[in-house]
Amino acid sequence: MKKNIIILGGGQAGIYAAREIRQNDSESNIKILGEENLLPYERPPLSKDFLLDKKNEDDLYFHSIEVIKNENIDFENVLINKVDFEHKKLFSKNEDVYTYDSLLISTGSDNKRLSLDNNLSDDVYYLRNLEEAKIIKEKVSDKNKITIIGGGFIGLEIASSLSQLQKKVTVIEIGNQLMGRIIPKQIADLVQNTHIEQGNEIILNKQIDKIIKKNGIYEILLNDNSIIETDFVIAGIGSTPSVKLFENTNLKLDNGILTNQFCETSIKDVYAAGDVCNFYHPFYERNMRLESYQHAQNHGICAGKNIAGVKTEYTSIPWMWSDQFNLNLQLTGICDDYDEIIARGNDINNGVIYFFLKNKIIKGACGLGIAGKVGRDIRITSKLTEKNTIVDKQILSDQNQKLNKLIQKQ
Amino acid sequence: MSEENWIEVGSTDSIEEEDLIRFDHQDKTFCVYRLTDGFYATDGICTHEAVHLEDGLVMDDEIECPMHQGIFNIKSGEALSPPACEDLKTYPVKVDNDKIFIKID
Repeated sequence: MKKNIIILGGGQAGIYAAREIRQNDSESNIKILGEENLLPYERPPLSKDFLLDKKNEDDLYFHSIEVIKNENIDFENVLINKVDFEHKKLFSKNEDVYTYDSLLISTGSDNKRLSLDNNLSDDVYYLRNLEEAKIIKEKVSDKNKITIIGGGFIGLEIASSLSQLQKKVTVIEIGNQLMGRIIPKQIADLVQNTHIEQGNEIILNKQIDKIIKKNGIYEILLNDNSIIETDFVIAGIGSTPSVKLFENTNLKLDNGILTNQFCETSIKDVYAAGDVCNFYHPFYERNMRLESYQHAQNHGICAGKNIAGVKTEYTSIPWMWSDQFNLNLQLTGICDDYDEIIARGNDINNGVIYFFLKNKIIKGACGLGIAGKVGRDIRITSKLTEKNTIVDKQILSDQNQKLNKLIQKQ
Repeated sequence: MSEENWIEVGSTDSIEEEDLIRFDHQDKTFCVYRLTDGFYATDGICTHEAVHLEDGLVMDDEIECPMHQGIFNIKSGEALSPPACEDLKTYPVKVDNDKIFIKID
């Protein structure tokens, strides 16, 4: 049956869903409604190769307009500001009406913003989209001292890039380690060492009390009364799911849109995918919200299948990466529920991995190495986790023994 | 086919099955693979970002980049999974007297 399928949100999850629907359904109308006047693009390079001028805007698009048109997918730049789930309609700011039979919500997430009690909010910069990356790139070009508030992935990636552009970078983190929300301390400390070796200053356990502007220079007052002087302030302090549009509707929300393992929301014919979802993961038997490249892609694909009538459970083991200086950090699974930790390697030149086990099964692993040194082992770990393999700890801890032995034993 | 472009990589027992070795020749890096049905060769650097595929995982007929999990078909070089979207160049391989040779153009 030919349907009107609308995808609200023109990011990675949206485009992968659209193409997956088309693979399974040649008839239906598929329309993506995007808030940015840009085709879906890759965000990971924004904080790295884009800032470093190693990639330009044209390198970022997932697909050309020709590919999207060939698959008969419509893309429209429009801001939707009202939803009527009962009558299956979306309304734009200009009062255009979009009617759907099936709706996918892939609106992503928004930056949390610092609450400053003076009028300096516009002096703090954030990086989530291409426009913001362009502004930061242009603004920092004649600045020297840059302060980054927040020691998470995005803050540290920017810190790494700006350090490579010869800036004097200070990172201020409220927690007692970097990337504390998901990265184990053992790995975070190794990343911190590299930042310090490269000349970045890392300040932990400190809160911002106030930011003052004096003669074009900012003074950041910390809660221990110390003051950081800086030319430019960037904040990366986390994100919240983009659900404002749905707050007064029947759509069930709880740290994002609640979805089951089939990307279905609490409302019939309404699906959700990507950062905006707090989804049920059948492997971990709990809900989770993820913000990563692999998740946006695979969750979008899974939603696309389900919308097209191919009932598919979402069972991807979480995986994410961060590149800082010449280091590649990778995380697979969940590292916060374990009864044993096993280390493999002790030198980042050859890769260091910490495995987090529960009942002799790896639940998650986090590794760090120069370029791709931990990639193969992390990938094998995902497979071992997925198959609930009881692992030989001797092999795990011995870098001279290949981990694919553990797979072949099954 | 001129003979002089066949370059010796090493002996067949230098690669385990479902595995690869890196082979550097002049300024270029290659990966040479042993799959269940024979030997294959591709460029040794991922087309997505400059990382050596030698640290990647070989599974069935695929090589997965160790940095960002882009996947390529080893036999055709086809980019199968993002972020890789540009195909990987492949090279002819022959085995002679238990020695592996690849033909570099």
